[in-house]
Amino acid sequence: MNSIDAWVSLQCHAEEMKDVHLKDLFHPGEERFEALSISEDHYLLDVSKQRINSETLEKLMDLAHQQELDGWIEKLFSGEKVNASEQRAALHTALRQPDNIELHVDGQDITTGVHRSLNKMQELVEQIQCAQWRGFEGSPIRSVVNIGVGGSNLGPLMACDALEQYAPAELRHLDVHFVSSMDGSELEKLLPGLDPATTLFIISSKSFSTVDTLANANTAREWLLKASNKSVELINQHHFIAATANPARALEWGVPMKNQLLLWDWVGGRYSLWSVIGMPIALKIGMKNFREILKGAHAMDAHFREAPFEKNMPVLLGLVGVWNINFLNIHAHAILPYDGRMAQLPAYLEQLEMESNGKSINREGERISFRTCPVLWGQVGSSAQHAFYQLLHQGTEPVMCDFIATAMRYESEGDELREQHQLSLANCLAQSRLLAMGDSSQAKNESVSNYKHYDGNQPSTTIMLDVLTPETFGGLIAMYEHKVFVQSVIWGVNPFDQWGVEQGKQMATNLLKELCNSGNDNLDASTNGIIRFVQDQNKGASK
Amino acid sequence: MKITVYGSSLSAWVAAACLAKVGNDVVIDEMAGGSERELNDISVIRDEPGLWSQIQRQIEERRLTRRLQQTTTAADIHWLSLQPTEQALAERVIDDIQLTGEKGVLIINQCNFTVGATEALQSRLSNANDVVFIPDNLQEGLALKGFTQPKHIILGIDNDKALAKTKALLRPFKSELDFLQLMSSREAEFTKYAITGMLAIRLGYINELANLADALGVDISVVQDGMGADPRIGHHYLSPGCGFGGQNFAAYVTKFSGILQKERQQSLLKTVMEENEVQKELLFRKLWQHYQGDLDGKVVALWGASFKPGTASIDNAPSLKIIDALISQNIRVQVHDPEALVNLRAIYKANALISYAESPLAAAEGADALLLVTEWPMYWSPDYPRLASLMRTRLIIDGRNIFDSDLMAQHGFTYLGVGRH
Repeated sequence: MNSIDAWVSLQCHAEEMKDVHLKDLFHPGEERFEALSISEDHYLLDVSKQRINSETLEKLMDLAHQQELDGWIEKLFSGEKVNASEQRAALHTALRQPDNIELHVDGQDITTGVHRSLNKMQELVEQIQCAQWRGFEGSPIRSVVNIGVGGSNLGPLMACDALEQYAPAELRHLDVHFVSSMDGSELEKLLPGLDPATTLFIISSKSFSTVDTLANANTAREWLLKASNKSVELINQHHFIAATANPARALEWGVPMKNQLLLWDWVGGRYSLWSVIGMPIALKIGMKNFREILKGAHAMDAHFREAPFEKNMPVLLGLVGVWNINFLNIHAHAILPYDGRMAQLPAYLEQLEMESNGKSINREGERISFRTCPVLWGQVGSSAQHAFYQLLHQGTEPVMCDFIATAMRYESEGDELREQHQLSLANCLAQSRLLAMGDSSQAKNESVSNYKHYDGNQPSTTIMLDVLTPETFGGLIAMYEHKVFVQSVIWGVNPFDQWGVEQGKQMATNLLKELCNSGNDNLDASTNGIIRFVQDQNKGASK
Repeated sequence: MKITVYGSSLSAWVAAACLAKVGNDVVIDEMAGGSERELNDISVIRDEPGLWSQIQRQIEERRLTRRLQQTTTAADIHWLSLQPTEQALAERVIDDIQLTGEKGVLIINQCNFTVGATEALQSRLSNANDVVFIPDNLQEGLALKGFTQPKHIILGIDNDKALAKTKALLRPFKSELDFLQLMSSREAEFTKYAITGMLAIRLGYINELANLADALGVDISVVQDGMGADPRIGHHYLSPGCGFGGQNFAAYVTKFSGILQKERQQSLLKTVMEENEVQKELLFRKLWQHYQGDLDGKVVALWGASFKPGTASIDNAPSLKIIDALISQNIRVQVHDPEALVNLRAIYKANALISYAESPLAAAEGADALLLVTEWPMYWSPDYPRLASLMRTRLIIDGRNIFDSDLMAQHGFTYLGVGRH
């Protein structure tokens, strides 16, 4: 790819730009903001605090065209097998498509299946919500525990957290919990506070073979069996729902077909909150609001597919990232929501971005010679200010930041809370400004010692929502999904597989045996040494 | 005396009928309740034994008039029988009276608004007129007798001069009176709530004991007799069952529980009311457990739908929660009630899963279980052999403990009571 004109042209341009300080890109007047921000619908995307100018943008657009981004977008939406290594489509966009839009892939009517599945989910959700789903004693279910990991956990968890205020009053009697960790820590903490007779588990696993999830599900079932003294069939019937693309395996585990919600292999785990994997969200905020999330995401899909690149939010977001990573050599990316409701967003984006684009082999199977996905992490901004902002302001690492905030909040609350929101916004703006401008933004004081000096020149993007609603939430997440896709197209990698997480699972299965044996010559000395330590401790304890 | 009664609740109609019967010139202003409806169509009148004919006669004899439009007419006494939520309406009535400039008017407040509401109404009036609180102790099914022959009356009076007039008003109803107690309106309001709450707590407690008795294999009816023999406790409101209902009882307790929570954050009554809702599904849970949750294709008979015998009212009745639970499981329900079916139909319309039976035995035909929900006298002694032959599965779940378990066993029934393992 390095030979591509646009790439070379960007490299030359970067030589010119690399020594230009961000503060010097701002001139009096509003033109820079006008030129380098998009305000569309509920969203404002501001990239004017990035180290770019209009020429950078032009060249980035050239790169997008040369990489045939528009063609790839069409392939994505029309259900072509963009996930080549697994020979399947990636049709998360179809999950949020209204039922009047037809989509046929390989002769299959995708839309009908999607809505059939959503409607079945709605039936189960409503049965639970109107307190008519019964546990083993015939009492209505009051607590729902989602057992899932990765995409079957992070998305629903984030959405439930972010949108809790939209839970209708009549649903507040229902608790929704999440457990994911394979060591059972969360279950151990959660179960004593739950009543087995009124607790329902959703086993959320696309493959229904995820070890972490099945381990938790087995523990949950044992807990129910012990508490109820009922048959395993009865417990399976009334206490387990499965969200899966593998009905046969779910049935084999014991979840009856009537309790199964279907998704498909063309839904990637980290792109699945829009499917029946989102059932906990629907339970928490109601099916109507869940459909609002889909609506917001669909609107963002339409924007991504139709808006010219210059006015296209996911495209701009993705290309600016490529500029930072590949031309300004920035390899750390901080996600900083200035809104406590979005506390789970960094963890969600860590998976979405790093599992999608953390690749060094291109679609043709060749090793690539440039950087791809950076290290991504984050935290609620106002808390992160007391944690790692020191590094952002005065460390040695260049870091790009995403500031995410809402313009309005607490409209129906008291002045105190509205003032807290204003305070949070002021901090958001202060930090992005200080990161960009350094202490040149402050009145000059010549006697300032070096350790009080702020270099600035750390680029950032600010994404504002007018209000956080199910709809804008859906749009925001879809924006990031498409941003990831844009970058994958520029880099030529497949963002929809994750071969890098497979081998560890297999190795663990083998090591499980070794933990009981006395070590193995085929293992390295370190691993053998640690196994010995564990065995010695356990022997000591059993004496 | 000229009396205007405000309200369209059962209490309002009972007061209007009884006050007219003893010779007063009574106008009833149904307020938002509307006066367009025929008497026959007003369910609170239809459901209360004897009330419809009483009202009809008072109207014919011109002692009772339904006011068609909201106009204030001169009256010596204004009687407020509004819903607990209608305090604003009461204030409007009071303000209208104040506007007429009349003096020496007596206002009887019988509404369960809140503690201090009577004082608040009084504060809108000049001192020439008085508001007195008389708690509404209406018992649905026995409302006429309760009004005309009370055994005790509590008067909440903040002003001596109102007393003579109030006594004159109540004089015709003194034949059975043992006890008349005077207290401040605030105390009387509190007392009203306290009584209702106490009864609810007793019922909640005996239900909790019954559920425990079920689990421990103890017969609650034996325990119940033992408890009731203690003079400190007595036998009233000590029968376990599948939950209490009724328009007034539940509304008052919930309202009081709200007041308590506002002052104290938490309340015993709130727990009692929540547990009562759970108790209403008890018969469904017993059915579910009996069939191990496998209710596919089952047919269930219900005897009784009204919230208690002697009324057609199904307000907050356990039968509603049971029917909802049954039809949610796709179970066919065959229900009988001597009076409440009209009201039940109004809720479930033509739901294909529900059929309304003409007789108790017709309801039991082909049933996999018979749930006794309301203890109407006609259910106490059924034709057992006939019942046994009609049912597909001989399972009786008795929500009011009216049947004898040994007798049931003799006729081949599986019998489940409340707290009678």
